[in-house]
Amino acid sequence: MAGHRKELQACPRGGNLFGLMTDRPTAVEIRHLVKDFKTSFKKQPLRAVDDVSIRIMPGEVYGLIGPNGSGKSTTMKALLGLVAPSSGDCSIFGKDSLKVDSRDEVGFLPENPYFYKHLSGEETLKFYGKLCGIKGAKLRDRVKELLELVDLTGASHRRIGGYSKGMLQRIGLAQALIQEPRLVILDEPTAGVDPVGSREIRDLIFKLKEQGITVFLCSHLLEQVQEVCDTVGIIFRGKMIKEGKLDDLIAIEDQTELVLKDASPELVAEIEELIARDGNAELVRTGRPRTTLERLFLRETRKHDSYR
Amino acid sequence: MHAFTQLVRMKVFYFLAFFAVILIASNFFNLPQHQGPESTGTHVLSSIKSWSLGAMTLFSVVLSIVATALLLPKDVEDRTLYTILAKPVPRLDYLAGKLLGVLLLVFVSLLLMDMLMTGILYLRTNLLLSQQLGIAAARGWPAAETLALKTEILAQGPTLSLQGAVFAIFLQAAIIASIALLISTFSSSTLFTTIICFLIFFCGHFQADARAAYLSQEVGMADGWFSRLVTLLVALVLPDFQIFNVIDAVIEGQVMPLFIAGKLALIGLFYVVFYIFASWVAFAKKEF
Repeated sequence: MAGHRKELQACPRGGNLFGLMTDRPTAVEIRHLVKDFKTSFKKQPLRAVDDVSIRIMPGEVYGLIGPNGSGKSTTMKALLGLVAPSSGDCSIFGKDSLKVDSRDEVGFLPENPYFYKHLSGEETLKFYGKLCGIKGAKLRDRVKELLELVDLTGASHRRIGGYSKGMLQRIGLAQALIQEPRLVILDEPTAGVDPVGSREIRDLIFKLKEQGITVFLCSHLLEQVQEVCDTVGIIFRGKMIKEGKLDDLIAIEDQTELVLKDASPELVAEIEELIARDGNAELVRTGRPRTTLERLFLRETRKHDSYR
Repeated sequence: MHAFTQLVRMKVFYFLAFFAVILIASNFFNLPQHQGPESTGTHVLSSIKSWSLGAMTLFSVVLSIVATALLLPKDVEDRTLYTILAKPVPRLDYLAGKLLGVLLLVFVSLLLMDMLMTGILYLRTNLLLSQQLGIAAARGWPAAETLALKTEILAQGPTLSLQGAVFAIFLQAAIIASIALLISTFSSSTLFTTIICFLIFFCGHFQADARAAYLSQEVGMADGWFSRLVTLLVALVLPDFQIFNVIDAVIEGQVMPLFIAGKLALIGLFYVVFYIFASWVAFAKKEF
C-alpha cells in the first residue's frame, strides 16, 4: 500500500496512472481522499478520512472493514457525492463523483435504510425506477424481476411500514439494482439482520458477483466480508492501514492445512509419524474441524422448518 | 407526484376536506337566521364567501408551510434522501419535485373547496334570486329596478372574480411554500421552519405599510438608491402578501380585472422561482 501511494504521489494530479497500469477502466477510483468535518467554533476540524486511496476493478467485490467511526461510511458518501472531499477526488467509471451523471451506473444501499412507509414494495421500486428515468413496460418488468430476485413477490403490495428488518434490507438492495447498475455500494448491508436474512443478502451479493457487477461494501462483520470479498481494505481512524487481495492477506504463509475425511486412527498415526520423522515440519494441531455457529444455526433452523 | 401521494397518504387532505365541509355547511345552515322579507339577502352570500375564502386561506397557508417544512427534514432523518441523491437526480429536481408535490396538494384542496363553495353559492344565489324577484314582482317594481336587483344579487354569487380570489389564495400559498422550502434547506427542525414561515407570512401583510412609514420619515433619502435597495431587500425577504389580499373586494362583489390576476400571477411566479433558486443555492453543496 505504501508503494502504491508513492506511485500515486509521483503521478501528476488528474493523470490516469491506473489506466497505464491496466487496460481495463476502473470501476471506482478514490485518490488521496481527505474529509474534515467542522466542529464547534475555534475547535480543530474532525478528520474523518485521512488520505485514503482505493481502486476497485470491474467485477470485483471490495470490502472496506473497520470499527465504528473509522470513516467507512464517509468514504462511501464521498464516492456518491453526498459529501464533498476536503481534498482528493473520487470517480466512478471515470466520472467525477461530484457530477450527477456519475450516479448513472451506481446503486446504493445505506446503513439501516428507511424508505417511504406509505409506499408498498412494488411502488417503492417503481419510484426509484422513475428517478432513474425508467418508464412503462420496462419498469414493470424490471420491478417484477427484482422482486423475484430478492424474494419479495409475495409482499410486493404490502406497505413498507410493515416490513421486517431483513425485508427492508432486501427491498433496499432491489432499489439499488433498479437501473441495472454496474457498481453497487452497500453500507453495512446486514446490520441488524438475523442470520437467515444475512445469509440471503450474502447470497444476493454472490449473484451480483456472478453477473459481473462490481460491489463495494463496508461492514464490521468480518466473517461475512471474508466470505464474499475478493479484496479487502482495513480502515482505522480514517486511515487505510492495510489493503490487498483477501487470500493474500489471510493466508498463514508458513502453514499447510490438510483436512481428511473418513481417515482411520491408523492413517492419522502414520501421518503424524511421517511428520515427526521430518526434521523441519512441526505438527501444530490435529482434531475435528468445527462448523461456525452461524452454519449450525442455519442448519438447525432449516431442519426444524422442514419438519413443519 | 410522489410528494403529493405521500402527503395524501398522511391523511392531510382528508382532514382539510372535512373541515372545509364543516365550514361551508355551517354557513348553509346559518342561513335561516338572516332571512327576512325586508332584506335583499345578499349579505348571506357575502357571509358564505367570507367564511369560505377565509377557510381556504387558512388551510392553504397552514398546509403549504407544514407540509413543505416536514418533507425535507423527514427525508434526511429517515436517510431516504441518501437513496434518492445516490440516483442520477439533480438536487434542483429533487427540491422542485417536493415543492410541486405540495403545490399540487394545495391546488387540489383549493379546487375541491372552491367547487363546494361555488356549488353552495350557486344554489343560494338562485334561491335568493327567485325569492327577491318574486317579492319585487309582487310589489310591482319597475323593470329597471328589478334588473338592478338581479345584477346586484348575481354580483354576489359565483363570479369569475371569485375564482380570481381563489387563484390569489393559491399564489399566496405557493409563495409561502417556496419560502418554507428555502428555510428547510438550512433549518435543523421542522418547528423552526414552521414558526419562521408563519412570522414571515404575518409580517408580509404589514411590510408595505411599515416600509412606506419608514421611507416617509427618511425625507431626503426617499428617492435615493439606498431607499430603493432597502425596498428591494425587504420585498425579497418579506413578500408583500397584502397585494394578494383581493378577497375583501371580491366579497363586496367588486369585479377583479383580468390584468390584476395576470399581475398577481407574475409576482407569484417571480417569488416562487426566486425562492426555488435560493433553495437550490443553499442545498446544492449541503452535505449529508
